[in-house]
Amino acid sequence: MKSRFQILGPVLLLLAAGACSRHKAAAPAAPAAAAVPATPTAEAPVAEAPLSYELRLGRGVYQHHCQTCHGETGAGDGFNAFNVDPHPRDLSEPAFQKAKTDADLKDAIQRGGLGVGLSAMMPPYGKTLSPEQVDQVVEYLRTLKRIDG
Amino acid sequence: MPLRRIFAITSILFLAVLAVSPLKNALRPYRGFQRAFARLGAARAKSLQAAKTYQQQPVAIRQIWLPDFENRVDRCTTCHLGVQDASMAGAPEPFRLHPATYHTPKDSGRFGCTACHGGQGLATLEKDAHGDVADAESPMVPLKFIESGCGRCHSSEQVAGAATLSLGRATLERNGCYACHTVKGHEAFRSEAPPIEAVSLKTGAEALRRWLKDPKAVDANATMPRFQLSPSEVEELSNYVFSLTPGRTLADRVQAAAAEPTGDVAKGKALFAESRCISCHTLEGKGNGSAPELSKVASRASAGWLLAFIRDPHAFNSRTRMPQFNFSADDARHVVAYMESEFKDFDAPKEILDPLHVNQTLAEKGKVLFRQKGCFACHAPGVEVDRFGPALDGIGDKRAASLDFGKRTDIARTLPAWLEAKIKAPGSFQDGLKMPTFALSPKEAQAAVTALLSLGARPVPQPYRSAPTVRASLLPGGAVGALMDKYRCLSCHQIGDRGGDISTAPLTAEGSKVKRDWLVNYLVLSFTIRPILTDRMPVFRMSKDEAAQLAQAFETFYLDPRIPEDPYAGQPATSRDPVEGKRLYDTLGCRACHILGAGGGYYGPPLTEAGTRLKPGWTYAWLKGPQKWRADVRCPNYGLADADALRLTSYLDTLVKSSTASKAKRGGTR
Repeated sequence: MKSRFQILGPVLLLLAAGACSRHKAAAPAAPAAAAVPATPTAEAPVAEAPLSYELRLGRGVYQHHCQTCHGETGAGDGFNAFNVDPHPRDLSEPAFQKAKTDADLKDAIQRGGLGVGLSAMMPPYGKTLSPEQVDQVVEYLRTLKRIDG
Repeated sequence: MPLRRIFAITSILFLAVLAVSPLKNALRPYRGFQRAFARLGAARAKSLQAAKTYQQQPVAIRQIWLPDFENRVDRCTTCHLGVQDASMAGAPEPFRLHPATYHTPKDSGRFGCTACHGGQGLATLEKDAHGDVADAESPMVPLKFIESGCGRCHSSEQVAGAATLSLGRATLERNGCYACHTVKGHEAFRSEAPPIEAVSLKTGAEALRRWLKDPKAVDANATMPRFQLSPSEVEELSNYVFSLTPGRTLADRVQAAAAEPTGDVAKGKALFAESRCISCHTLEGKGNGSAPELSKVASRASAGWLLAFIRDPHAFNSRTRMPQFNFSADDARHVVAYMESEFKDFDAPKEILDPLHVNQTLAEKGKVLFRQKGCFACHAPGVEVDRFGPALDGIGDKRAASLDFGKRTDIARTLPAWLEAKIKAPGSFQDGLKMPTFALSPKEAQAAVTALLSLGARPVPQPYRSAPTVRASLLPGGAVGALMDKYRCLSCHQIGDRGGDISTAPLTAEGSKVKRDWLVNYLVLSFTIRPILTDRMPVFRMSKDEAAQLAQAFETFYLDPRIPEDPYAGQPATSRDPVEGKRLYDTLGCRACHILGAGGGYYGPPLTEAGTRLKPGWTYAWLKGPQKWRADVRCPNYGLADADALRLTSYLDTLVKSSTASKAKRGGTR
């Protein structure tokens, strides 16, 4: 009788351990599977599907404050562009996009043209937009980069 | 021996039962998520120290407990571990950083998660938490309606930062939903639909039939929805409308107007453009669109009616938003002559405006239909409005199981799906439903559903409620009140918490903002202040007396204590320095948006005559923070110091209309 107990104890333990290890093996797969239906883009309207939530916020800020001069595509051809001397920067130019870091762009938006030694026609937005909004618009500006050729 | 055996078996069973609980806990999926998160965090960490912190996090249930917010317990962060972790931007779900919004990440501890997202806060299994199980009490809100969460606390019509919710609330109002459905805060809603008795004066049988069949097909700006009427029902309702006797005086006016000689088309065309009718109406789709499309109006309304209506719209419909224009008798004839010559539906049959020979039997049936279909809710609301539609308060918390899906087996059995289908095609649920079809665009439908989902069953606790901060509307009575009513200022302008949104200039602080002499001249002959705007102030042909009366009243009533009368008071004399102000004007880049003299941008109002128009106190207050006065204004806040703002103010105040130029201009016009 004693021996039976001796056998049963380890068997129970083994069963428990087996259950745990099976669970461990399954766990890492779970988040990856969950990621597919839960992304916000899956719920968004079809037309806006390629843009993440942050980018849509950034686009909102861009359309509200920047588009008037810098244009819808960032090419510096907004309807007010030709009243401004010097003309607004072409933000979609790949060379410009490459030369400026995110921090450069953020700085120019927050302190304005004058603040970074350029034209005063670009106003400073540091007191108008929150730092998060500036980050979002910088992120959106990156999507405006023109693909040449 | 048997006793020992029984003892052994029960012991094993007992052990097994005891093992169930720790086993169940060990098998909880969130543990796997937490371990995966620790690995992900460690892999993404920039320093060894940070990586260690991730690895040392104990595996345990996390929760946000909000005792003063309906005692919510949100355990969402047990799996969504990265919502407040900046290094988790773009990480795979459920670990991704929450997007930055007005309230996140800073207010997560105040609102929790379920306040906006819905779902079961206490659950720690994905299926339960997200409410994917059949008839969950609170399933998650689909992301396209997520702004409904904003509306639970923010009760104002316009909510900054929640464009979809704001559009939705405007859509419910514009389409007259509140005429049939009770919603708290909208009990006073009255539709602008014309009283039904006078319709026979305006239109003909064929035009009315077409309208009843589908109002939006006749006029894209129509707010009247399409009722699912059979041809015989259309006939009965038409007969009923033509069987009613319009008021004697109105009938006489229309008849007299019809007998008047026709005016001059060319003069009418000029007057039509000058009066800026398309600030509210549209002409072939061009214009504001908050009032009827006019390009075919002469085939819907008789010439006599048009003339009598333009002369005194409020006699025909006391609820219309149309202002009264002071056209002379001849001018009004010219305008109508122009409309008669151009604004016709040339494909329509000639007899489109012929009246109907009433068949009494059909008219009786039509009278019953008028009640049955609920037409009276908009067209003849009495003092006691009979809102026969179900109340919409609390609809955002309705259980899906309590909804009647009728014939719609094609949609998900959830509240948002039901609402969306209902608002798009109410007739598709069941035959004979009263709710008409509104032909909303997909965007409007999404917005309207968002607004409906924001109507919760119970109000949020007081500290969470955000009531609009706008001042109550102060409307003068007496002669001035009558004038403001005559010109319907509130149709376009906002005063306090009331008024339309066609104008970008609220009148709440107009007395503190503009100089009185300028205002008088502007009211007599309004001109374009911002050339970029397409909706412009109409020219009412106000008399100088009326204008002076209104300007005086504005200066008395519409003041804002935050705007100083004399901004220089108590400031050093050096701050009144126009020369330094001009230098500031040039260096700050104001010219990028404002025209001044020969150059400048096309966005803001021209400042060439800023000193004639604006009071210095307002200019100063505006420069100190434009967003304070209009949240969505493009003019950036430069964070000017008091002294600099005053210098700029003093410069702008020197920019006045030169006296010779103004004299020449005054001589040139009437």
